[in-house]
Amino acid sequence: MKFYYFHLMPYPMEHDEPSSWVTLSNRRYDPEIGHALYNQYLDQFEHAERLGWDGLCVNEHHQNCYGTMPSPNLMAAMLARRTTRAKIAILGNGLPLRENPLRIAEEIAMLDVVSGGRIISGFVRGIGPEYFSTVVNPTHSRERFYEAAELIVRAWTEPGPFAFDGRFYRYPFVNPWPRPLQKPHPPIWCPSQGSSETVEWAARRRFPYLMVFTPIKRIAQIYGEYREACERYGYQASRYQLTVNLPIVVAENDEKARTIARQTALWVYHTGLRMPLTFWVPPGYLTESAFRRSLAVPRKLPTELSFEDLEEGGYIICGSPATVRDKLRVFSDELRAGIVCSGLPAGSHEATLDMMEMFAREVMPHFREDAAVDETAGIGR
Amino acid sequence: MPSQHRLIVRETPVELLSDGTGPALLFLHGAGGAGRWLPFHAELARRFTVYLPKHPGHGGAPAAEWIEHISDLAFHYLDLLDELKLDRVHLVGSSLGGWIAAEMATMASHRLKSLALIAPVGIKVDGWIYPFLFAMELPQLVATVFHDQAKALALAPGDLTNIDTLAELYRERAALARVSWNPYLYNPLLRRRLGRITAPTLLCWGERDRVAPLLCAEAWAKEIPGAQLRTFAASGHLPHLEEPEAVAAAVADFCGPREVAR
Repeated sequence: MKFYYFHLMPYPMEHDEPSSWVTLSNRRYDPEIGHALYNQYLDQFEHAERLGWDGLCVNEHHQNCYGTMPSPNLMAAMLARRTTRAKIAILGNGLPLRENPLRIAEEIAMLDVVSGGRIISGFVRGIGPEYFSTVVNPTHSRERFYEAAELIVRAWTEPGPFAFDGRFYRYPFVNPWPRPLQKPHPPIWCPSQGSSETVEWAARRRFPYLMVFTPIKRIAQIYGEYREACERYGYQASRYQLTVNLPIVVAENDEKARTIARQTALWVYHTGLRMPLTFWVPPGYLTESAFRRSLAVPRKLPTELSFEDLEEGGYIICGSPATVRDKLRVFSDELRAGIVCSGLPAGSHEATLDMMEMFAREVMPHFREDAAVDETAGIGR
Repeated sequence: MPSQHRLIVRETPVELLSDGTGPALLFLHGAGGAGRWLPFHAELARRFTVYLPKHPGHGGAPAAEWIEHISDLAFHYLDLLDELKLDRVHLVGSSLGGWIAAEMATMASHRLKSLALIAPVGIKVDGWIYPFLFAMELPQLVATVFHDQAKALALAPGDLTNIDTLAELYRERAALARVSWNPYLYNPLLRRRLGRITAPTLLCWGERDRVAPLLCAEAWAKEIPGAQLRTFAASGHLPHLEEPEAVAAAVADFCGPREVAR
């Protein structure tokens, strides 16, 4: 199994506002604290590479305290020069949120060339509140996503210049310099929470599917749907097409791990992801049938989940090294996920570094049968 | 009781309510007003044949994917006039419906005997940014739209535990967002076209409007040649709902003489 270190780069704070997104006043953001946090977070990434993590994951969110990374490509750029071996997974760029997605093709190509071909390029639509922050029309989200993805892949693979004339994006000359280093282009991943349309699209294009912050039962179900779809398209999914993003907390014993996780994971769910329903589901962001499906099988909002829901539901893993190993076995052996993207939130910077070391020493080596395999070879293209 | 009709306008299905006797009057509803025959409409139906269609995607009506821009809705209603074989009508619209009506008037003033705009949105007004209603939960929405919040009950949605009801509301919000998310609630091209309107125009405005305050009314009055402005002291954004008799009388008194004159 491959391990990727995932960071939200949160701005940890408490507040009583109804939303941590879009409207939470940025007066509460202290750039002095932000300076310390960004540098700690980047140190954690660099530490992760030294400790043996296979990849480092950044992502895009706007106007919130949950994740202060409006430009993941900037963070990837810093990592490209400060690391030498680990993959740099951008999970991902919010394609429909850009007015000029050709810029994404250019930036990823730059990063790929600088990093020596270590970039993984996630394509996402962005979650609901991003449509309030960027004011991109959410009723165009899906079409813009597919159109931008097509444009970017063509920009990477077809010799330029060529003309592109889409519904949302139009260019008389598509001809980005540089071209990416990886052939035919950097692997593309689809991080998602299980929308059937995205599962289908990712399987058809052979793009790895990353389940983000989802209960384990649902992960199993969506993996099943993805594998089935791959077979319908005439191939068998590689295990490196099935990836999962789940926070892991490891400590000397279960009790201590649970105490830490109760604090850090609940902050993510109860504060970081706190927002009104109107932000989660902007008009037209879901198709009407997807909207009906979401009502027919109601799921709790993040703020409605208790710590027990998170732990028992398999949204997170926490425990002693032995417990964490056992729980990870479910992902590696039963769900047959090839890559685990995980942050190890521990509270302070020092505690996080310690937790990372414990994980690298006592958990990771037990899952290294595939140490010699390049998980990106032939995947995601 | 109004009668219900279903017709097809250039392949787009239209559901409409109709009642009354007299000259034809087309009413275009605002968001949330689809399919609601209000006391205001009943009042007008005493002197006019009132037609109240649902915008595609609103009030449970099927969505029309081809509608991407407010002008698409304007063309749709000009086509509806043809389908109804109405050569010239009195055109009345509230809020979003007022915006559509104004777009129609800039395209085809000759089809209008008169134009009554009830707190329309649709133009950019210096010094005012429309509050972003899409981001509001119901209580804040009601407090923003209505002066007398009890009046909001007239537009209360059905059973909010019912999946069909919720899906229809979601469809309606999507239909609204398609034409109004960004630029939010206006067409940058409309304001400079308002000078083309030759139909006699009445503007009705709630003095307590918090969506488009009186400042906006002044901008409309300035741009539409000869437009008259009537304000209503005890109303928010929907004066025809908060003061139905007074607004209906103002509209009827404005439209009636235009009927005779032409």
